[in-house]
Formats: sequence, structure tokens, C-alpha cells
Amino acid sequence: MEMHPRVREQTRSEFDTLIPDESELTANVRIEPGRAYGFFTDTTVCIGCKACEVACKEWNNLPADNIGLTGESYDNTGALSANTWRHVSFIEKPVLRHDLQQPFQSGWLMMSDVCKHCHNAPCLEACPTGAIFKTEFDTVVVQQDICNGCGYCVPACPFGVVDVSKVDGKAHKCTLCYDRLKGGLEPACAKSCPTDSIQFGELHKLQARAQERVAELHALGVANAYLYGTPGAAGATGDLQYLNAFFLLTDRPETYNLPAAPTRPANRVAPALTSGLATVAGLAVAALALFARRW
Amino acid sequence: MDLADRADIAPPTPEEPPPVRRHPSEPMPRWPSGWQGPTYYGRAQLKAAPFENGVVGGYIFFAGLSGASALLSTIASTASPRASAALERRARWLTLLAPVLGAPLLIYDLHTPKRFYNMLRVAKGTSPMSIGTWILSAFSASAFLASGAGWWGDRRPNRRGWRRLSTLARWSSALAGAGLSTYTAALLSATSTPLWAAAPRSLAARFGASSMATGAASLALGQRGRTRRNLDAITAAALAAELTATLVSHHRYSRSGIAGAFQTPWGRLEEGGATALGLVAPLAMYGATLARGGRSPLPALATLAGSLLFRISIMGVGDVSARDPELSFRFAQPDNLPGAHSPSRASG
Repeated sequence: MEMHPRVREQTRSEFDTLIPDESELTANVRIEPGRAYGFFTDTTVCIGCKACEVACKEWNNLPADNIGLTGESYDNTGALSANTWRHVSFIEKPVLRHDLQQPFQSGWLMMSDVCKHCHNAPCLEACPTGAIFKTEFDTVVVQQDICNGCGYCVPACPFGVVDVSKVDGKAHKCTLCYDRLKGGLEPACAKSCPTDSIQFGELHKLQARAQERVAELHALGVANAYLYGTPGAAGATGDLQYLNAFFLLTDRPETYNLPAAPTRPANRVAPALTSGLATVAGLAVAALALFARRW
Repeated sequence: MDLADRADIAPPTPEEPPPVRRHPSEPMPRWPSGWQGPTYYGRAQLKAAPFENGVVGGYIFFAGLSGASALLSTIASTASPRASAALERRARWLTLLAPVLGAPLLIYDLHTPKRFYNMLRVAKGTSPMSIGTWILSAFSASAFLASGAGWWGDRRPNRRGWRRLSTLARWSSALAGAGLSTYTAALLSATSTPLWAAAPRSLAARFGASSMATGAASLALGQRGRTRRNLDAITAAALAAELTATLVSHHRYSRSGIAGAFQTPWGRLEEGGATALGLVAPLAMYGATLARGGRSPLPALATLAGSLLFRISIMGVGDVSARDPELSFRFAQPDNLPGAHSPSRASG
């Protein structure tokens, strides 16, 4: 990724003020309302350092969920939750022989999972209070001063992301650092990622960059590299259209605890309502005939 | 040197065939169809609804009972006004169950109950919970008006105006009641919980028929004569419709590969308790006594208990399907997408 010319202007090592549009320097993207932003998580360069998890917890002031060991490889976080908005999963694939590993990290997969900020976001569509909304950056955020903790967004999410906190009784999930975007800052996880596995940027540019990366990997012989969550790909099925936070994977989606073919729940409202009302109407007509008969 | 030529270090044949090298126009690799595992350390892929099953299941039961009794009593008093006076008085109390018992149950289940009024901020067609909020509000208002005006009209010498108001409000509550007795199925179906999402149409038919059965059964308790026989026949017809829809939905669960969710305590409660004892048994009792005109309240009570059990246990089986990653993964396969031609043959 090329550097922005403004980087040369910043020669200081200590800052007493915020650099205007700092994201131009750190991610080569200017953050402007009305444009779509997202994450491209390239799992082939993830080293499992969990800097994203730490940066997210620090910036968003989130408490720890689990301070013990799970015994599940290096994953002691477990899952995304109300207090964990980035989660690095570790998959140790069976080694064919103890001294023979496949190339390109394919024996050990790591992925930093996050809210997908779906285009047709099921949590947003399910929310009965309007607490969940689409921001001016095309991201999905829960307004904490409106959420009443009904919990309907939790089963609506096809990725098991959003969660209701037992502490404050509200739904929580990744905000794609809405507050940082407003201040011209790159989201904390992407900024802290040392290998650029997590890339923040404008969605269509990220998608193009991701396609190039897949082609590059194919040329290197990683035939099973593919995108999850781009239009028409796995993860963007069932009328979800596309995910603003999408991934480059090298194994089946299920390996990373992702669904292969999620669907848009709101598409089931009309079939259910019409079928239920038709059943009731049929029985009501039968009742009318019974009560109205003269014998 | 090619590794495959050296027998001593050649890798054994992998169990899963490697993905087919793809044409650039293909959006993703073609994995072997179906999903055989493994899961991510057995961890859930989805999150189960943070609802209390007894509380929300109880609400669905009372909403269905109230809504259907409003609809049935309005139909009865329109078709034969003179024969249905007692029925109408009974319905006044039954229709108040949804606003008086049901609504507090819903508010109790919120994790921030003092903000319950935020439900009235928006009206949203994609959210059955929002649709339901407005249906419940309309139903509650018209049920209170119908019951109040009817009760007051009975005690006034000049009752015509009050009765007219009551009839108008009763029709409004009957229409809202039809929605109230079925929207809860859309609420469950419009989620990613596999068991609720797998069969939206037949689940809604089950909910609608079960609501009508409880409405008719609760109106029939204590009734005599022709009205009782009519209500018993409606209950039996609703139970028969519910049984048909139950068989259809279970067929769909098998085809989607998630029938394994029923091999759990919640599943056995749904099959053995709600369906066998609360649906098939009362249906058989009605079948045996309908011709002679039975007096026993047993089939009506079994219908009511069965419906309550059904609403609670379907919540529980749904949670099972969301927490079990094998069921979630098997359901979220391309074969199960709407419009996909070959349904998954996976067993379960």
C-alpha cells in the first residue's frame, strides 16, 4: 500500500494535538460522511497477536470476559460478545506428518473475527426501537441511549455477533469505531494490526484490493484462497447482498466458525404472516358457517 | 524432487478431497457438498435468543388465546346474536388476558424494562416485534373499549349507544386479534435460529391453528347446548389443522438436516408433551364425543395445556438449534437457501 504524501509533513514524534484526517496517514483514506467504509480482513497474513482485541478493548473501554485458559489452541477469548468486539480464532489443522507442513501457514489458520456490518443488516431490520441504525459511513451501530434490551437482534444475527450485556441490559457490538471515524481516525483494531491483516478503507476500494490479493495468492499456488462477504460470494448469500467487513479465507467457512450460506431473516416475515393469517381466516370462515347454520 | 515419488515421506491421502481448482469466473471454491465437520471447538456459531422461554412462551399463549377469542366471539354474535349473549360476556374477560397478563410479561422480559415505551418510537415492516407492538396496542385499546362499553351497556337503561360502540370496538379487536394470534410465528421465523427459520409457513399455520383452538376451547368451558357443540367442532377443526401443519413442519426439519434438535429434553417435551398429549389426545377425545355432545371439560383443558406447552417448548427447541454448531452449520448450507433445488440429504 502506497503512503500518503502528507506523511512526510509529520516529523514530530510527540503530539499535543490531533492530526487532522489522521486516517490519511495511517490507512491512506479520508473519512467523509456519505461514503461506505469497511474492513477487509486478510487471514493469510494474520499472525494471531491479538493486538486488535487489545486495541478494541482499550479504545472502547470494554471489560475482560474470560481471564482463564480455554485449552482451545491460543484462543482464550472464545467468541464475540457484548464486551468482546474483535476475536482472533486459532485453528490448528491436522498435520499430515510431524515434520511435514503445508506451505503458506495452511496448517495453522488465524482469523480476527468482527461484526460484519451487513448491507441488509438483520439486527437492524429486527430492532423494534430503532436503536440500531445505519451511520453516515454505511456501518451498523446500536444507540445505547435508546436500546431497551429486548434482545431480538441477538437471534436475528446470522453470525452470532450481537449480544445483550448482563451488566447494563443493552445490546452491544462493534461500532466500527463510529466515534473515531467522526474524528477522522482509523478504527483502533485496523490501526494496531502489525501485518495489515485488518485493513480499513472505502468499501469498493477494499473489495478491489481483495480481488487482487486473491489473484496474487492463486498465482502463488494457494488455490483455495477466496473472499467471504463480497457481492455474490459465500457469506453474502440469501439477500444479505454484501458485508462491509469481509474476509479472505483459505478453508471452508465453517472452519472459522462462519456460516456458509446465511440468509436475510426479514424475508421470512411475509410468508409467515400470510400463512398464519390464511389459517386463521380459514378457521374463522368455518366458525361463521357453524354459527350461522339454521339446523 | 517430487515428494509424491518418495514412498517413505509421501503424505497419506487426505480424508477430505482438496477443493477443485477453479475457473476465474467462479466466485468461490467448490467445497464438497454438505458439511461433515469439524466445528470450531464445539462452540456455538449462533447466539440463542436471550428470552425467558416460560415468559415469552406464556405471552404467545395468552396473545393467541385473547386474539382468537375476540375473533370467534365476534363471529358468533354476528351470526347468531341471541344465542351468543353469554359467549360475548365470557369473551370480554378472555380478550383482556393479552393486555392485562401478556403485555406485562413482555415488559418483564426486556433487559431494560423501564424503557419499554421505546417500542413505540418506530413502526417497521421488517421487524415482527415492531409489527406485534402495534398489533398488541391496537388490540388492547379496542379490547378495553369493547369490554368496558359492553359491561357498562348491560347496566344502563339506555343501552343502545353503548352496545353500538361495543360492537364497533369488538370488530376492531377481532381484526387485530387475527394478527395477534399469528404474528408471534413471524417473530420467531424472522431470526437466524435454525429451527424457527426452517419452516416459516408451517410454523405460522401451527401458531394460528393453536390460537384458534385455545380461543374456542376457553370459550367452550362452561358453555352448554348448541354453542358448546359449535365451539367443540371449531376446536377439533383447529386441532386437526394444527396437526397437519405440525407434520409438514417436522418434514421440513428433517429435510433441512436439523431434526436432531428434537432428540433433547426440549424436543421430547414438544413431541411427547405438546403434540402427543396436548394435540393428538384432545383431538381423539373430541372425535369420540363430538357426535354425542360431550360434557367433559377434559379435552378443552388438554387443548389449553397443550398449546401453552407447545409455545414454551418450541422456544426451547429453537435455543437448542442455535447453540448446537452442527445443527447451525447443517442448516446454513447453500442447499437450504430459498430457491435452491436439491434440499440437503444430511441426516439428523
